[in-house]
Amino acid sequence: MSKLSKIIYFYILQLILAESLLAESATKLEGEFKLGPAIILIILLITFIMVGVFNRAKDTSTYWAAGRKISPIGAGMAIASNWMSAASFLGMAAIMYGSGYHGLSYVVGWTGGYVLLLILMAGQIRRYGKYTAADFIGDRYYSQGLRGFGAGVAIFISFSYCVGQFAGIGLMFKWILGIDYTWAVLIGASVVLAYTLISGMLGVTKNMQIQYVIIIISFLIPLFILTYKFGYFFWLPQMGYGAIVTDIVNGLAPGKGITAIGHDFAILPSPEFAMPWDPATGQTAFQWIAICFSLMIGTAGLPHVIQRFYVVPRAKDARWSVVWGLFFICILYWSAPIYSTFGKILSANPEVGELAKDAIVVYTSQLGDVFPLITGFLAAGAISAAFSTVSGLLVAGASAFSHDLYYKVINPNANEKTQMLMARIGTILMAASVAIVALLNLGLIAQLVAVAFSLAGCTIFPLFLLGIWWSGSNRAGAWGGLIAGSAVSAVALVYFIAGKFGGNLPGQEFINYYMNAWYFAIFGAPLAIITNIVVSIFSKEKTPLEIKKFLAQQVHNYK
Amino acid sequence: MTDDKRYEVNFFKPLSEHAKANRKLILILASIWAFAVFGFQITLMILNEPTPEKSYITYESVYPAVLDFSEADLEMKQKFARSLISVLGKNIAVSDEHKEVLKNILSWTVFSMQSDSMKYLFKKELDEQSYIQAANSIGLAAEGFDKIMIDLLPHSLLTIDSENLKEEYKSKLPAIMKLYLVHNQNAFTDFEFLGFPFHYWYTAQFLLILFVILCLVYAMVIEKMNLKHEFVEET
Repeated sequence: MSKLSKIIYFYILQLILAESLLAESATKLEGEFKLGPAIILIILLITFIMVGVFNRAKDTSTYWAAGRKISPIGAGMAIASNWMSAASFLGMAAIMYGSGYHGLSYVVGWTGGYVLLLILMAGQIRRYGKYTAADFIGDRYYSQGLRGFGAGVAIFISFSYCVGQFAGIGLMFKWILGIDYTWAVLIGASVVLAYTLISGMLGVTKNMQIQYVIIIISFLIPLFILTYKFGYFFWLPQMGYGAIVTDIVNGLAPGKGITAIGHDFAILPSPEFAMPWDPATGQTAFQWIAICFSLMIGTAGLPHVIQRFYVVPRAKDARWSVVWGLFFICILYWSAPIYSTFGKILSANPEVGELAKDAIVVYTSQLGDVFPLITGFLAAGAISAAFSTVSGLLVAGASAFSHDLYYKVINPNANEKTQMLMARIGTILMAASVAIVALLNLGLIAQLVAVAFSLAGCTIFPLFLLGIWWSGSNRAGAWGGLIAGSAVSAVALVYFIAGKFGGNLPGQEFINYYMNAWYFAIFGAPLAIITNIVVSIFSKEKTPLEIKKFLAQQVHNYK
Repeated sequence: MTDDKRYEVNFFKPLSEHAKANRKLILILASIWAFAVFGFQITLMILNEPTPEKSYITYESVYPAVLDFSEADLEMKQKFARSLISVLGKNIAVSDEHKEVLKNILSWTVFSMQSDSMKYLFKKELDEQSYIQAANSIGLAAEGFDKIMIDLLPHSLLTIDSENLKEEYKSKLPAIMKLYLVHNQNAFTDFEFLGFPFHYWYTAQFLLILFVILCLVYAMVIEKMNLKHEFVEET
């Protein structure tokens, strides 16, 4: 029996044991300590750490090589696990629950970007052979300054990505522990920090495959139960939920079942849930397209996504790992809308009260009267999704800080011990500041994570795109594009924060609509690309011959 | 050719047969990708027609008479009340501000249907008897959508403070009803596929399938292309 199947078997056994020992009421949506889910969560985290210990990397080279031993399918699972965060697990269903068809822009945006990434970059990045995004930028544009700036941007992107994850972790800890959101975020942040510091140097890739399996199983089980229970095609809920969407549009009369709190599983006609850009949602076609575009190019510019291609052994494996990774990601993305459809009907009666949208996945399972421990497993799966992403991001952010900024730019004489200390300090500082921002409740999880995508789309994506495909793009052009992209990002974020705190800057409404914090890359990315091209053409500087030669011969294989 | 020219990398000016073939492949796949994602959404945008729900058509037919106190009979008021409940039933889709307007107008409409001897039921704190009386006045049966409406009444009716409805509520109502009861629809939204409205299936399911297929095609074709052009990937 393989290690993976042993662990799955172990889990099933744990669940059966736990179910026989613990039976809880599902009718109380929140506000009480839930022992079963808490135990499941602890078991999950301990297992992840144990798997890490058994597959421990002995040194840095083995750490990187961990990715070189696994098949493209295994690497695909690692990509999917790395990718599937609280935003995928909780955020997408939340945004569809609240905004209907508009929410599908996140589903399409977060998958379509992989096509761009594969056809434009994956193989080329692998052949370029640098270890981090900042390394590529510094090397391709022959500038230590750009390397430093790139590292800073990468840290900022990881930071914004983490904010949404911490919000998700906070909501799930709130649900499990029955405490208020502030305490939940603080406790969740401490646990994720401890987890990262313990597991940060362990066998990450192996862990990621197991995390993927746990995350996807915990997400799918309630869907089979819900579709079966309410009389929809349950063999493949991803197909069966079409009838639920149609029921929401046309209305569903009582008679299909009863919710956990005794209401009919029924709803009056609600076409606003599925019709494109319904006026009732307050969202427009422009916003749909802008979000979709920003998320797609952001995917192709995210440092922690790009970084995965550096550690695979061959360019061919890099490509196939994307194909498998996207397929594994899509399994979750095909399924996420189902939670929003059930959630819409199950919470149709106003007596349910206003539910936190970002926890609708878990509430749906509760309201559908799915067995409490399975709902607990679902919540633990959500936390695992957030943990796997956050620990990766914290490690990436900290290594950008210690390796790209501190060692390569600030103190090149630093020994390994000092670098390690800087990485640890970086991790703690980043986790603490992310927790503070998460407490501000600035938006829904999916929206907060979308900020990181727009940032990546405005800054790193143009540098990679032009850096790989046009040797004429030079240092001056890179600076120009980076400054233009960063300026758009800064304007969008300043206006967003001002708006959140009641400020009214000139043109506030215009900027908030056209350059909203969730999708400013719709203008920022094209502007950064154009600026890079124009400055490169008009600057007197030329890309050094050795870089052109390397790009032509190593990356594009010109003879 | 100078070294500078020889090592010039430009996506649009490929210098090798492999690079030309790769460019062609990328352009084909990117065009399919862009057209499938954005082309379809733009098509939806062009075809979309504001389409009212049945309740909106009913509402429009009775609204002027009911709110102007003129010649509204009981049946008109019943239809009017049902159209208001159909919006309140959308629950989380309706903003709190709009719910307040709708609840006030619904309460006033129900109140206006009562005989003098029953009006007291709606002037005090509302109870089970008030809700039963309201359901009877509106003519709601205990089955089908009517049952959902009955369940909504305790969350939709307010105690009547004044027999006159505020002008502010009257003036806000038309825009609110239009906002929640008129939707963007077209042939793609009306056509059902695998149980889904077609546009929903296309966006939520088909596009994702297409992305996986595009990646699969690229990975397979590029391998053949590399072999054909003797493109050495690993050095």
